[in-house]
Formats: sequence, C-alpha cells, structure tokens
Amino acid sequence: MTILDRFRALRETQFGAFVPVLLALAAIWGYFGLVLPAYDVMTGEADSFRAIFLSPRNIYNLFMQSAVIATLAVGITIVLLLGEIDLSAAATAGVCAALLGVLVLAGVPGWLACIIVMGVGVVMGAAQGVLVAYVGIPSFVVTLAGLLGYQGLMQKILPTGNLNVGDPFVRGIARVLIPDMWGLALAVVVVAAFAFANLRKQSQRKAKGLELDSPLALWGQVIAFGIIVVAVVLTLNAYRSLPLLLVLLVALTALLGWISVSTPYGRSLFAVGGNAESARRLGMKVQRIRVSAFAIVGLMAAIGGIFGASRFGSVSYTAFAGGSLLLEAIGAAVIGGTSLFGGRGSVWNAILGALVIGSLGNGLDLTGASAADKLMVSGAILLLAVAIDAVSRNNAGGR
Amino acid sequence: MTSENKLVGQAAPPAHLAVRGIQKRFGGVHALRGVDFEVARGEVMALVGDNGAGKSTLMKVLAGAHAADDGAFLLDGQPVTVATPNDASALGIQIVYQDLALCENLDVSANLSLGDEPTKPGWGFLPRLLRPLDDLEMEVKAREAIDKLQVRTLQSVRAKVGGLSGGQRQAIAIARAVGTESTVVMLDEPTAALGVAQTRQVLEVVKRLRETQHAVVYISHNMRDIFEVADRITVLRHGTNVATYTTSETTPDEIVVAMTRGLDTVSDEGAGDAA
Ligand SMILES: Nc1ncnc2c1ncn2[C@@H]1O[C@H](COP(=O)(O)OP(=O)(O)O)[C@@H](O)[C@H]1O
Ligand SMILES: [Mg+2]
Repeated sequence: MTILDRFRALRETQFGAFVPVLLALAAIWGYFGLVLPAYDVMTGEADSFRAIFLSPRNIYNLFMQSAVIATLAVGITIVLLLGEIDLSAAATAGVCAALLGVLVLAGVPGWLACIIVMGVGVVMGAAQGVLVAYVGIPSFVVTLAGLLGYQGLMQKILPTGNLNVGDPFVRGIARVLIPDMWGLALAVVVVAAFAFANLRKQSQRKAKGLELDSPLALWGQVIAFGIIVVAVVLTLNAYRSLPLLLVLLVALTALLGWISVSTPYGRSLFAVGGNAESARRLGMKVQRIRVSAFAIVGLMAAIGGIFGASRFGSVSYTAFAGGSLLLEAIGAAVIGGTSLFGGRGSVWNAILGALVIGSLGNGLDLTGASAADKLMVSGAILLLAVAIDAVSRNNAGGR
Repeated sequence: MTSENKLVGQAAPPAHLAVRGIQKRFGGVHALRGVDFEVARGEVMALVGDNGAGKSTLMKVLAGAHAADDGAFLLDGQPVTVATPNDASALGIQIVYQDLALCENLDVSANLSLGDEPTKPGWGFLPRLLRPLDDLEMEVKAREAIDKLQVRTLQSVRAKVGGLSGGQRQAIAIARAVGTESTVVMLDEPTAALGVAQTRQVLEVVKRLRETQHAVVYISHNMRDIFEVADRITVLRHGTNVATYTTSETTPDEIVVAMTRGLDTVSDEGAGDAA
C-alpha cells in the first residue's frame, strides 16, 4: 500500500474526508498565528510576540468574513454533488441583495422582503436548472450566461452601484449576539445531542448484529466535535458573543447536510452524481432532481445575499456580482473536498473550505500583502485542492 | 419455413412473461424488428446472438429502461404496460445490466436499496423523498441479500463499490435484482469479465434462482455456460428472431450456426445486402 493508496482510503471514510481540509486550516492558522509572529520577534521587527491572527477579535472577524462565502459554498456543493456547476451563484446573491435593499427602502417589512428575495433566488436557480435538465445545455454554459445576465440585472436594480440598508430586521441578523451563557448552553446541547445520536446508533448496530464502528473512532469523533464546538463558542465569547448569523449558517448547513446524507432525496443526488444513467434506469426522476438542486443553490445564494447585506449594512456591486465572491465560494467547496466530478463531498466540508479561503485572505491582509499576492496564493491553493480531487478520483476506476 | 414451431420450442412451458412484436429504433438504427420472446417460471431462458444483435436492447425494453416503439407485453397471459423502470419493478421484473449500473461512490448497502430505500416509520407527514433513511435496516437487508448469494469474499456492506473486484460487483448487482420482490431476473453477460471461480459462483446463483421458481433470462456468449444452465435458448440476429431451441435437443454447433448465419443463409444474406 503506497502513501497515495492510504490517502485515498482515508478520503473514502466518513470522517477521513475532513482530514485534508482540517490540516490545511491548521497549517494556515499555524503559519499566520504562530510562525510569522515568532519570525518577526527573531528578526527584531517586533519587540514582543503578538499573535494578532489568533486573537479572539480576529477570529470573530474571520468567521463573519467567511460566512457569506460559506453560505454560497454550501449551496454550490449541492450542484457539485450532481457533477454540475453553478457560476451564477454570486450574481444571484447580488440580485437578491439589491432587490432586498430596494424593497426595504420602499417600506416593505424586513422579514417579508427576506422571504420575497428567497423566493426570487429559488426561481432564478430553478430557471437555470430547467435549461440544464430539460433543454440539455451544459450547466457551465447556462450558468455562465446566468452570471452575465444577473450581473446586468443587478446593475439595472442598482443604477448607482450602491445602496445602504438600514432596516433593523435585516441588520439584526448580523448584529444580534447570543448572550454568552446561552451560547455555551447551545454548544453543550448540540454536542450532547451529537454524542447521544452516535452512541444510540452504535447500540442499535449491536442489537441488530451489524458491524460496529471502532470505539476509538466513535469516541474520537465525539470528543473532537465537542472540543471544536466549545472552543469556537468560548473564543467568540472572549471577544463579543456568538452572533446569530453564525447560528443560522450552521443550522442551514445542518439541515442541508441532513437532507443530503439521510434522505432518499439526498441519496438520489449522490446516485445521479455517481452514475446518472443507472439512476435513470432505477426510475429516479433525474431531470427533476437536477432542477431542484439548482433551486437549492438559488435559495442559498439569496440567503447569502441577505447575510451580506446584513453584515455590510449596504449592497454594492463589487461585494457580490462583480467581485471575487463567486470564485471564493467555488474554491471553498472544492478545497473542502467536494469533487468537481460529482458524487463525492459534503456541505460541512464547504464551511471548512470557506474558512480556509477566509483565513488566507485575512492572514495576507494582516501581513500587508498586496491584492496581487492574495490572488496568486488563492489560485495556488485552489489548484492544489483540485489536484488532490483528481488524484483521489483515479482510484475509482482502478480495481 | 420451420420457424413456426421452432419459435415456441417443442415442450414450451406456459410463459410467465411474454412479449410479441417488439420494435425499437434509435434514430436510424432499427435495433429490434418485431421480436417475440418469452420465459416461464422455474426456467432459465438463454438469449444469444452476435454483438449488436439486439440482446441488451431487448432486455432494457423488458426492464422498462427503454420504452418499446411497438409491441405487446403479457404477464401470465394478461396484457400489461411496461414503459418505465418503475412499471417493470412493480411487476417483479428485475435486470442486472451488462455495465452493472452500480454507483461506485456509494457503499454496498446504499447500492442494494437505491431507488427503493427503507425509511424510518413515523415520518409519514413528510414527502417520501424527505423522510429519514433507515440505514440500519438497509444494512440488514444488504447482509441478507449478500448471504443468500453466498459471496464469502465481501467483508463489509459499508465498503464503497468503487473499491471492489469485478466478481464482487457482479454479485452485488445480482443481489440487487434478487433482493427485491422479483419473479423475473434478467442477467446481461454476467460472466464476461469474470475468472473461472467467479463464473462458477454466478452459474450456481442462476441455478438457485431457477429452484426458487424465478423466471431467469441469461445472456451470454459462452456456449459451455449456456448448455450448463439454460433450459431453452432464443437466438436473435440483426434484431429479429432466428429460433428458440430446447437445450436438450440441440447442440452448440447448431446454435453457433443460427447465431452467425441464421436458418436460411442464402435468402437472409441477400435481403441484408439489398437493405
Ligand atoms: N442507446 C442507444 N443508442 C443508439 N443505438 C443503440 C443504443 N443501444 C443500442 N444501440 C444499437 O442497437 C443495436 C443493438 O445493440 P445491443 O442491444 O447492445 O446488442 P447486443 O447486446 O446484442 O450486443 C446496435 O446496433 C447498437 O449500436
Ligand atoms: Mg449487449
């Protein structure tokens, strides 16, 4: 067994898929948080060791900066599972955010505007899905056209390219903080539920005489999950508190994660992505599944638009449609370990991938790197992630 | 022509599934030109013919994966419609495709219940597609199906299909067809990619299916295998019937001649050239 084989085998296991992206994240945090400050002290550039990158304040900002990327990446993961791609997600988010701004300006209540905008996002996504599934145009082309068209549409809605959003409901999504104790309580409940679900499954397996997970893997997984969740909440509490925005993002991801792994619908996403012809022969409605997946990306893009408008307090062309959001979101999904070839991946990995992208940008900003440096480093990381994907995939054909 | 009595065979048992006059075109390719075919319960019917004769297409039509352009379906003598895969599986018709049609990115138990996943009780208020999967039940069923076929080499039903050997994949594809409530099981060249030992296993499985009163359709190019398991043999050529033989009353040589030259060599070749 070569190292490559071991690596492929690792990626096939349920939690092994998280390992590469977690390692990447640890490497980036270690570099910006520990190595660079230590280097500065040694060379005398700084007089004391200052871990700015790993300060609670910066971690808080990092999470908030990555939240919009993560929302889109989670949606994009769903179409990537099918082996399709959506290049229009950021432009859809832009149109929805612009529409949201215009609606609340016109006096529509914030909550209603959010619902309307989410509906619009679903329609925008589903329309592209129909072209892909029923007309048979490759999704790359359909969504490239969507990217251009929706960018234009956003400019039509926002002729000035900028609009402030002051609606208290909309702004509240990013501003409301969960009180420290409640945040901790929530974390403990979530970890306990996770542990309970895992242990119950193990005992049911035993009762039915099925093969068991090794106790090491079982407990390792529960403990790792617990440490990560509690550490995140404690860190956020150390600066401010757990923001509602992050709770919503995690809840949405959990919902989509559950749907994609634990329902017949989710199974059909993986089946179509793995072998569309076999899914068709089994009687799955492949075309409808495709349309629904694009509708989900549209919905997540709209929610990303709402999150963005809430966080920035404004809607601008460059923050969504015209900027780097799209490539960051696709990059996040792929860096997370979701295959561009379909059939492999998870929405949770998309969140970790978004953190990798967000951390790179944030870290390079802190070190005063230029925009050019950022682009080049992001490109290299993306290439590395796709290379890993391609190498893992070669395994599938081999016997 | 003697094909009238050759078509049904001498001592034909009452057909369980029968089709008459099946037509299928793919654009310009006329793949099936009025094919008749039948299979009885507790019988293995071999389907043979040269490459491109239309064997796989006929099977896919029987399985509802391709809708026939024309023709009649009879199940136990009653007319039925088979236009979609769901129609076929509702009638108990299951197929093991030549390319197996497995999802390599999913594990064995997921593949075995794909398209018909068990869901947990108590979630009836949700649409079926969004009910929670009962993955433990799935594994139990997968274990049973695999054990029934006695595939000893398969360690875990949670292994991804992408990492399995050709014989194991074939066994899983067969287990998928047999695991459901099926009365007709069709196998398209199941041993083409297998070694000697694995081929034996598949042939044993086919015989076991006959003992359990399944109607089995078996496509193969290997005359030895066919003469070992088949009760009757239907020969196709250029998308039409040549004849149906009773295995005990024919020889491999006669079958090979029928496959490659048809019954009436001269007139058949002439017609082919003129077309
Ligand atoms: N999906 C398809 N599209 C177009 N032509 C097809 C298709 N499937 C089969 N054919 C054609 O139909 C004919 C019969 O093919 P097939 O049933 O696969 O033959 P066999 O299985 O007997 O080798 C061939 O000429 C083949 O090229
Ligand atoms: Mg064939």
